[in-house]
Amino acid sequence: MMRPIMLKGHERSLTQVKFNREGDLLLSVAKDRVASVWYSSNGERLGTFIGHIGTIWSIDIDPESELVVTGSADFSAKLWNARTGECVHTWSLPSPVRRVEFNATGEKFLMVTDQVMKQLGSIEVYPVNRSGPQAEEPMLTITTREGFAKATVAGWSYGGLYIIAGHADGTISKYDAKTGEFLASTKPHTETVSDLQFSPDGTYFITSSRDKTAHILDVDGLQMLKTYETDAPMNSAAITPVKDFVILGGGQDAKDVTTTSSKQGKFEARFFHKVFQDEIGRVNGHFGPLNYIAVHPQGTSYASGGEDGYVRLHHFEKSYFDFLYDVERTAQATASTQTEVN
Amino acid sequence: MAEVAKGQSWADVEDDLPSPQVIDNKDGTKTVISYRLNEAGKKIKLTQKVREIKVTEKVNKGVAQRRKWSKFGDEKDSTTIGPDFRTTQVGTAVELVLGTSWRGEESKKEEEKKLDVVKATNVKCRTCDGNHFTSKCPFKDTLGADPEGSGAHDDGGESAGAPGAYIAPHLRAGGSKLGGRNFEERDDSTTLRVTQLNEMVDEDMIREELFAPFGMLRRVTLVRDRETGQSKGTAYVAYETVEAAQKAMENLDGRGYHSLILRVEFSKPRPAR
Repeated sequence: MMRPIMLKGHERSLTQVKFNREGDLLLSVAKDRVASVWYSSNGERLGTFIGHIGTIWSIDIDPESELVVTGSADFSAKLWNARTGECVHTWSLPSPVRRVEFNATGEKFLMVTDQVMKQLGSIEVYPVNRSGPQAEEPMLTITTREGFAKATVAGWSYGGLYIIAGHADGTISKYDAKTGEFLASTKPHTETVSDLQFSPDGTYFITSSRDKTAHILDVDGLQMLKTYETDAPMNSAAITPVKDFVILGGGQDAKDVTTTSSKQGKFEARFFHKVFQDEIGRVNGHFGPLNYIAVHPQGTSYASGGEDGYVRLHHFEKSYFDFLYDVERTAQATASTQTEVN
Repeated sequence: MAEVAKGQSWADVEDDLPSPQVIDNKDGTKTVISYRLNEAGKKIKLTQKVREIKVTEKVNKGVAQRRKWSKFGDEKDSTTIGPDFRTTQVGTAVELVLGTSWRGEESKKEEEKKLDVVKATNVKCRTCDGNHFTSKCPFKDTLGADPEGSGAHDDGGESAGAPGAYIAPHLRAGGSKLGGRNFEERDDSTTLRVTQLNEMVDEDMIREELFAPFGMLRRVTLVRDRETGQSKGTAYVAYETVEAAQKAMENLDGRGYHSLILRVEFSKPRPAR
């Protein structure tokens, strides 16, 4: 039995939740214009970032937990002081920002801008200046290539070498992070890629899609390594450290929610074994689809942000860490007897 | 209680108690002596022996520093120490049972539940005395070979002596156990009596909103006026198990529901007239 901590800091549905590098802070953004930051240990709210005038689609915190970046539907991205909640800089953009992410060193961040009217969507990289004014112009712009659907999500691979993007038609593409050169693409999904999260070492990543599946692909070859199948559109997928699991979240479309009861809506976090691809458990609790799932970097807890306006923060119990497949147990047993013999 | 002195508010009288004392003992413990008033208004001396233990916990430096950050934004004026109940609540416990065949287990459970229902309804095969309907008997062809027709018809002829006449089920020899149920014999140990229900509450609401979460329900009966069909505010709810009924009673007795406070108790058999 886990007792989740329910964080009710938002009046509208959550769009993203995220832990910082040490996992002591949890950030959440929703459609209600205000970003929140919480202590993950007890769910106490540290503060809010006030300034956006539209839905905030995405948030990220740099590795040192000094700066926070948010991307909003009000055609802007903002950089904040994580400690005081002051807005450091605002970038005005020609289209809404769907996704922001710092690179591993916190020197720069990428943003995915939406496709509106004549604006083609793009992925833009901005440098972060810690001691002076921020650059207005991006250091790199990757405009959506001809024949590609707009990008919906993007992230940095290991070493910040590549940028991997997920597209609205289910395509995954890979770019050189320095030059912006297009390197490869593959199409594992048939519908919008809703989320893309990297493994802790950044060598492979998991994508979730509205086509009810999630896949693990490797960065180097864009090979599909694993597939997780569900019975509902998926909004988010995360890889858990410590244990070889993945957590998927989603559910029926927001527009269909009122016509289904919470039992039939499939509003559960689904746990799959990363290697064996079996579904091994579910956690319910949300009254609406799960919009985002974030896992603590130490693998001790996970948070889910729902369409119902709640963040549910779960700290795992001992039984979670003890769980092993029979084959794993046998392998461990044989390994230990072998060492004894030696 | 101490008397109210002149020029002193009665509210301050309780502050009259001697202030607590702390004595350091030789063995490193502390003795704390404090005074308070008990319910009867008598002064009570409370002596507690306390040992202080320092627990060191290693925390990442950055984490420790961030723990001391002052609050900002909407939380700037917050005076609460620790989580504020307005934004942070502890939810009801959820279960995460990890297993490879959890989906199979779930369907198995459902099947078992269904089986339990069949058992509970007291079905008995007339051919083999098993827990199924006579028509579903697996030994129908071997044991139940009855060339003269159905057993009931045959037995009925013997007991009533008038072939062809209708015989009530409980009078038939073969069906005596099946039809032998009456109100005295009915097992009411899992039945709850619910009173003080709002008139607008119907069976479905009782079932779905109140009692369904605690276990499988066997029957829900709302007492209604014979003429008008209006609820009399009393209902009988039967569960499959006593445990479920007990749990439901503990959780729902005294709970408010549609502006009335529910009263839930085990149904008692009607006293003999």
